[in-house]
Amino acid sequence: MMAGRTFGGKLAFGVGITVLLTLLTIVTSVLGLVFVVNSKDAAIASATEDLTRAENLKSLMEARIADYRAYLLVPSDENAQLTAANHTEFRQQLDELKRTLTDAEIQQLLTQIAGIDDTHAAAVAKMMAVRKADPDASSIKIITDMNATEVAPVRKQLQNALGTLIIRVQALVTADRDAASARATQAIVIIIILGVLTTISASAVAWRLSRDLKRQVGAAVGHIQSSSAELEAAAAQQVSGGRDQASAMSEITTTISELLITSRQIAEAAQRVSKIAEDTESAARNGDSTIDQTRASITAIRSQVDQIVQHMLALGEKSQQIGLVVDLVSELAEQTNILAINATIEASGAGEWGRRFAVVAEEIRKLADRTAASAKEIRALIEDVRGAVNTTVMATEIGAKAVDAGSRQFDAATSSFREIAQLVSTTNEATREIELSTKQQTTAVEQVNVAVSDTARVSRETEASAVQTKQTAAHLSTLSGDLLELVGTGRH
Amino acid sequence: MRTDVSGRVDQLRDDFDRSFAQPARTLDGDSIELLAVGAGGRPYALRLSQASGVHPDRPVTALPTTVRALLGVAGFAGTVVPVYDLAALLGHSIGQRPRWLLLTAGTPPLALAFHELDRHLRVPLGDVVTASTDDDGQRGCLQGLVRLPDGDRPIIDVSAVRALVHQLAGHQPVPEEIR
Repeated sequence: MMAGRTFGGKLAFGVGITVLLTLLTIVTSVLGLVFVVNSKDAAIASATEDLTRAENLKSLMEARIADYRAYLLVPSDENAQLTAANHTEFRQQLDELKRTLTDAEIQQLLTQIAGIDDTHAAAVAKMMAVRKADPDASSIKIITDMNATEVAPVRKQLQNALGTLIIRVQALVTADRDAASARATQAIVIIIILGVLTTISASAVAWRLSRDLKRQVGAAVGHIQSSSAELEAAAAQQVSGGRDQASAMSEITTTISELLITSRQIAEAAQRVSKIAEDTESAARNGDSTIDQTRASITAIRSQVDQIVQHMLALGEKSQQIGLVVDLVSELAEQTNILAINATIEASGAGEWGRRFAVVAEEIRKLADRTAASAKEIRALIEDVRGAVNTTVMATEIGAKAVDAGSRQFDAATSSFREIAQLVSTTNEATREIELSTKQQTTAVEQVNVAVSDTARVSRETEASAVQTKQTAAHLSTLSGDLLELVGTGRH
Repeated sequence: MRTDVSGRVDQLRDDFDRSFAQPARTLDGDSIELLAVGAGGRPYALRLSQASGVHPDRPVTALPTTVRALLGVAGFAGTVVPVYDLAALLGHSIGQRPRWLLLTAGTPPLALAFHELDRHLRVPLGDVVTASTDDDGQRGCLQGLVRLPDGDRPIIDVSAVRALVHQLAGHQPVPEEIR
């Protein structure tokens, strides 16, 4: 039932049960006392009031007897009144008893007493009437007889009844007293039982609480002790870690300082690069006019090359014409040679003059041979010239094509150059952004430096607090041992 | 180059002027006039004394004939002359058409066609080796050879060639010569 409750709950529950049982014991004791007191009060009341009333009845009976005897002696009104008053009071007392006493036998007895009293009162009244009628006591005899015959038996009967009543009331009182004593005994027994129960419950609660205290609190304190040890070890690690962290933080601070210097250098370099990029941009703008001049020069070169090609082609035609003339010269030389040969043949058959003519013919033939050889040389030279012209034309055409290609490439280079100029402008903007970013970065690194310095300080504080935590954990471990000893489990 | 040519011109002029300054001379008998020709791609030499003229590019009218070497006839100073291919007569395969015609001396008139006229030679007699080759067939047309700096050239005997032509044409030489 108590499982899962806190120790305070258990303590409250046990003390509550004990308090409840104590309250029950107190209430029961009070109730028992009240009951016993009431019983005793009832017994005392019956002993005092009922018995007194019964005794009063008897004394009133005796007083009444005395009164009417006195009346019989002296028939005065006072005695008569006293007798009546006593009788009235007797009846009142009797009625009172009849009202207060509930015992059936006593009620019957009281009723019987009332009847006997009525008879007695009637007899007394008759006797008093007789006396009243005989103021001189002449009829004393009658009265004595009446007394002896009518009144005395009834009186004795009444006195006996009253004695019986007294005895009876005394017995009732004794019975009430015994009953009250029995109830008191019952109350004492109940109170003793409740006290024993309370004691047992308190002992059980104390035992249970002590056991739970030893078990749970001991276990918890044991856990606390082990946790304290772990906490101490962790704090030790934290101390060493804090030291390492502090040293690392100082290294980081140094590194960040170097980084800061480097960032400033980068910012300066970026500024220089930005300046260079601006210069490059202006130089690129200046390069545009140079490009236009170069394009004009290329166009002039192209037209010059075309003219060279035309001139070379004309030179080729001229050399061809020279070749035709040389062919003519060769033909003439050949014909001269043939003529010389034929002249020699003719001369051989013409005697002496023919021989001399043959010499001339030979000279002519030699000249023709030389002319032919010279024409052949000229032809070879013309062939060389034509080959050179062809080669030159081809080279010039190749040059023209190269100029065209160069012009196209120059156009491409121009567009590339303009693109480069554009890119340089873009680069300039990017460099400015880099410069700005680097300055911002420098500022950020300075802030990081400040933050790292703060972190280093916090690390040192953390180390100090870890030392304090370690001491506190050690103290907590000691306190846990003391608490375990206090609980009674002993040290682990 | 220019100096070479001008030097050659001066040399030529000097030689020409000297030829007029020298006394008149005649050809001695220790030399022989030859005509270096090419026929069928081979070099030959002809005695100029056996020729009566050299003509290039003469039109030759072809004749229907079974003689392979007969190219046709050509006209020379109002005379119709048969033209025979020298290369074919010498036993070489007929290649391209010959350009030159050699009008032989003697009768009947005969023209021999050959491909190349190399040059006119005057060589000492000592350079001419006269050797009788075997007379069998067309080889008999050659009579000796001349030693030249660019190689030896066989000398063609025009009379032997004429005899060969007559033989091919079924000509009776003796009555013809008598007539």
